[in-house]
Amino acid sequence: MDFSARLAPLLDADILRFLAGGLGLTLAVALGTIVLSLLGGTVLAIGRLSSFRPVSLAAAGYIETIRSLPSFLVLIYVYFAVYRAALDLGTLGAVVLGLTVYHSAKTAEVVRAGIQSIDRGQVEAARSLGLGFMQTLWSIVLPQAFRRMLPPLVSELILCIKNTSIGSIVGLNELLRRGTIVYQQYFNPIETLALIALVYWGLCFGLSVLARRLEATGAQQAERARLATQEI
Amino acid sequence: MTGAQAWPSLSFLLEGFRLTIWLTFLCAACSLPLGAVVGIARSTPVLALRAAGTAYVEFFRNVPPLILLFFFYFGLPGVGVTVEGFTCGVIALTLYTAAFVAESVRAGIAAVDRGQVEAARSLGFGYLGALRYVVFPQAVAMVLPALGNITIGIVKNTALVATIGVADLMHQGEVLESRTFATFSTFTTVALFYLALIIPMSLGVNALDRRRRRMA
Repeated sequence: MDFSARLAPLLDADILRFLAGGLGLTLAVALGTIVLSLLGGTVLAIGRLSSFRPVSLAAAGYIETIRSLPSFLVLIYVYFAVYRAALDLGTLGAVVLGLTVYHSAKTAEVVRAGIQSIDRGQVEAARSLGLGFMQTLWSIVLPQAFRRMLPPLVSELILCIKNTSIGSIVGLNELLRRGTIVYQQYFNPIETLALIALVYWGLCFGLSVLARRLEATGAQQAERARLATQEI
Repeated sequence: MTGAQAWPSLSFLLEGFRLTIWLTFLCAACSLPLGAVVGIARSTPVLALRAAGTAYVEFFRNVPPLILLFFFYFGLPGVGVTVEGFTCGVIALTLYTAAFVAESVRAGIAAVDRGQVEAARSLGFGYLGALRYVVFPQAVAMVLPALGNITIGIVKNTALVATIGVADLMHQGEVLESRTFATFSTFTTVALFYLALIIPMSLGVNALDRRRRRMA
């Protein structure tokens, strides 16, 4: 088949709309996952910082175990668990849950670093003004920590977008799966996969520029942090 | 699963485990030198090299590794080139991982004090000599924990090759699950295998990191 015949389907409005729908689902899954992971990660981080040993050990155990497993395995495990438990979440819900289980553990470390970066004097001042523990955390520590957490959270979102592509393996109709449907129909895998790679690239590159802009003020701290950890 | 049945299953998973380790080793052996070259290219004053290095890093780290894998495995046969699944895994994960290695190496080189270069140059080292004997060794020592973390990332990402039928640990787990329907015991065992590999690596990285902090 010649090149133009292989490229033509990718210029067809209906096919592009089909792929755009997949992109929408990819974005929805990634955003839903990162929001839920921020909630789960905050609970886990507070748990890990708790002075009550059983809670901090349980949180640390969860975080370290999940962080040491492939996201693919975690997703498959949760997907089957949801299926076996006869929970009616649908493929979309199961994938979001699976990715949330994975990304919560990683977001927890971002939140913990954010909380620990806040000067202890802030907590002492708030407590001496009569604020309770939860109130200090919620209205003094977390708002300040959140601003410092933003750049690494955007990086985590990039990773999350890349991981949504694994959802295609369990049949989630996101961008990559729709791409495979297209190229199996038109026998143009190279062209279709290249187009899809470019779409993912545009999304992730745009976000990485945003992350760098957010950390422009603390560029040196960011550079130092990059020496220590880089999530891949 | 009864005890008698469990042993053949374990040896079945163990075959996959060996392939996961071998795949990780090959990807690390390829992506560390490639990433070092790209990272050095990004640190040179030569504009063309810097641009090429930056383009490489910005492209490959912002694309899902699964797509790279599909591109080589399902894409290339479309133009008449067939590459074996295992080789596709090595190529795709190497290209992806090298982008992160390059970022670490570049950050390490940037963190070496400029005075070191000036001292080396005034002692008669050329640009490459200063890089080779003075800057690069210090940069690598500084980013060793980061490179360790990246290697852990390789182990985790190798699980993706199961999607193209390479018989790694993840794939063996999926096959075993579909034969026995022992979903939880199978995937929990698979998870334990991954933990047995990754937790010692993490402890090693933490030890390296503590040493680096003491030196800094």
